[in-house]
Amino acid sequence: MKLFLTALALVAVTTPAAAQWLDRPWAGIPRTVDGKPNLTAPAPRGPDGKPDLTGIWNGPTPDPLLDPANAQPWVNDLVRQRDQDYHRGRPSFQCRPSGLESDEFGGWKRILQTPAALVILDDDLTYRVLHMDGRELEADPAPSWQGYSVGRWEGDTLVVESNGFNDKTWLTPEGLAHTEALRATERYHRTDFGHLQIEVTFTDPGAYARPWGFTVEKTLAADTEMLESVCERSTEHWSVRSDTAVAVQPEVLARYVGAYVGAYGVRPRTIEVSLSGGQLIARVIGFAFVDGGEIRPLVPQTQTLFEGLGLGYQFIVDDKGNATELVEIHISGSYRYQRKK
Amino acid sequence: MRLFLAALVLIAGTMPAAAQWLDRPWPAVPRTPDGKPNLTASAPRAPDGKPDLTGVWNAGQIVARPEPADLQPWILDLARKHQQEYHRSRPYYQCRPSGPEAERYGGWKRILQTPAAIAILNDDLTYRVIHMDGRRLEAEPAPSWTGYSVGRWEGDTLVVESNGYNEKVWTSRYGVSHSDALRITERYRRTDFGHLQVEVTYADPGAYARPWGFKATMALTADTEMLEAVCERSSEHWSSLSDAAGAAVTVPPDVLARYVGVYKGIYGGRERTYEVSLSGNQLVATIVGPPIEGGLGAAGLEDGTPRPLVPISQTVFEGLGLGYQFEVGEKGPATALIVIHISGPYRYARVK
Repeated sequence: MKLFLTALALVAVTTPAAAQWLDRPWAGIPRTVDGKPNLTAPAPRGPDGKPDLTGIWNGPTPDPLLDPANAQPWVNDLVRQRDQDYHRGRPSFQCRPSGLESDEFGGWKRILQTPAALVILDDDLTYRVLHMDGRELEADPAPSWQGYSVGRWEGDTLVVESNGFNDKTWLTPEGLAHTEALRATERYHRTDFGHLQIEVTFTDPGAYARPWGFTVEKTLAADTEMLESVCERSTEHWSVRSDTAVAVQPEVLARYVGAYVGAYGVRPRTIEVSLSGGQLIARVIGFAFVDGGEIRPLVPQTQTLFEGLGLGYQFIVDDKGNATELVEIHISGSYRYQRKK
Repeated sequence: MRLFLAALVLIAGTMPAAAQWLDRPWPAVPRTPDGKPNLTASAPRAPDGKPDLTGVWNAGQIVARPEPADLQPWILDLARKHQQEYHRSRPYYQCRPSGPEAERYGGWKRILQTPAAIAILNDDLTYRVIHMDGRRLEAEPAPSWTGYSVGRWEGDTLVVESNGYNEKVWTSRYGVSHSDALRITERYRRTDFGHLQVEVTYADPGAYARPWGFKATMALTADTEMLEAVCERSSEHWSSLSDAAGAAVTVPPDVLARYVGVYKGIYGGRERTYEVSLSGNQLVATIVGPPIEGGLGAAGLEDGTPRPLVPISQTVFEGLGLGYQFEVGEKGPATALIVIHISGPYRYARVK
């Protein structure tokens, strides 16, 4: 049952507890007449007159559009391979730093700004340092997870150039790869007290014909604290748990046979469940790059819960025991699929 | 051979490459007439008049252990258990945040100071935040790896109080745990431009009879950069004897006989003696010798369990998750034993 514990644990740590002590009014921030933080007040400035990005920020995860035509064939091959592998090599699923993966721009961040350096602290306990002391980008820095970054002000916009990334990090959760020649440009603009816009552009001719990127909007998470959300169970623990299998009667299994339709991430996915000699089989159709679907034998853990090559499959049944829904349990969360036939 | 790779990778990651670009003069550093950073100039001050601790710092090895007599029995039992497991549940060996562990005050840190918060960035890519906005320590913060910290200035000394640590972090690499009553006090003082003294005290009535701690001095590493040293192979990959047996090779008895002897070296700041003997055709290593006065790693915590050594090559053996490499001359007996641990290799010279 390790897998399911993993999924549960991950969900648990990423949902901040609604504890009393997190209700913490910040001193010295502009407030409206009713005492709430005034998020549309002007952006604060540091002693040097530059906008001050310091604060705790939160916001949605960007969803960059994938354009396979813009990617080199080797990138598309790798994406296909990573998809087939349920993204278990994704750095964040392996408890490793995520570099500039698009998902890293969503969620909780604490920014501390000083004249010589700005740090972006992530709730997964990793961080990035942006050098602001006027230095130029290095020509050949040692490849690293978080890269080498220098920032400069263009008016009220902080422009950050980065290179020196190792080739282990991904650019999106789907597994878009990059070379060590990756160069990223970020433009940070605190439009008012409560809002920070970030525009990210990736340039990597060895992997993409044209630069591409996304924008993300962050909101000041005033009057609270950022909590840790540390990865503790890597995908190396995904396993086939045939040793914990239980017996499920064939007539019970038969009630689960059918087609279930839903979405994995943003892409539609259909899971066809069939019986093959007393063994329930899931055929997963709808990988963007995989034709024909992938076959996963389902090993029963309880009467309704199955494990299939490292993923959990939970059938939701009605009062007659017929499945109405299938929930696919992945380390990134659970995905619901409605029964269609 | 995973273990050996792990050890090698870790060593590679913690040794900064001597690359050209790391040679980077910092602006705004006082310099001696020959252009070198003047590390004994006066400590810089922030616009608010407080000492500014901002910089890249490096401290040597920290050796800090409570006296076993000061540990409550359950902590001592846990420390023994951790030692028997070769400390493989040490957070650092599991690629998890080390939190307040004493030994992790050593090595590279980058400090950024703002009036409202100070960030301490570690080269393993973890960090902690010290709140400086005048708030009090929370009575019951959510338990976390890096704790909840508030700081205040007492003259030119930064005094930091912390609590709220989860039960997974250790306070010493020697397997010393803590209770949820753990409270840590740190006193930081930048005595001059190039030196930062830190005094750390661990108080935990639920675990220790009296507070314990250590002092260390961090040196400013001017004119360079801090490199990442990210853990990628956790101790979960330390293989068991049965794994090693699958890869075992055969070493003739006359070769094994050349390795039999007594080897002396230092592990964790203390002398340690290994006795290597032959039992049947099986090489066996045992840590021997009288316990050293005081401290863990001695006084009953030393593990005298014989470790069977399974040959991986003619000179490399694996014993319960550790690597053992014998240094040999042209002929004759081994001259040294190198114990390969995830924290690095330890050399033991042959004494008889």
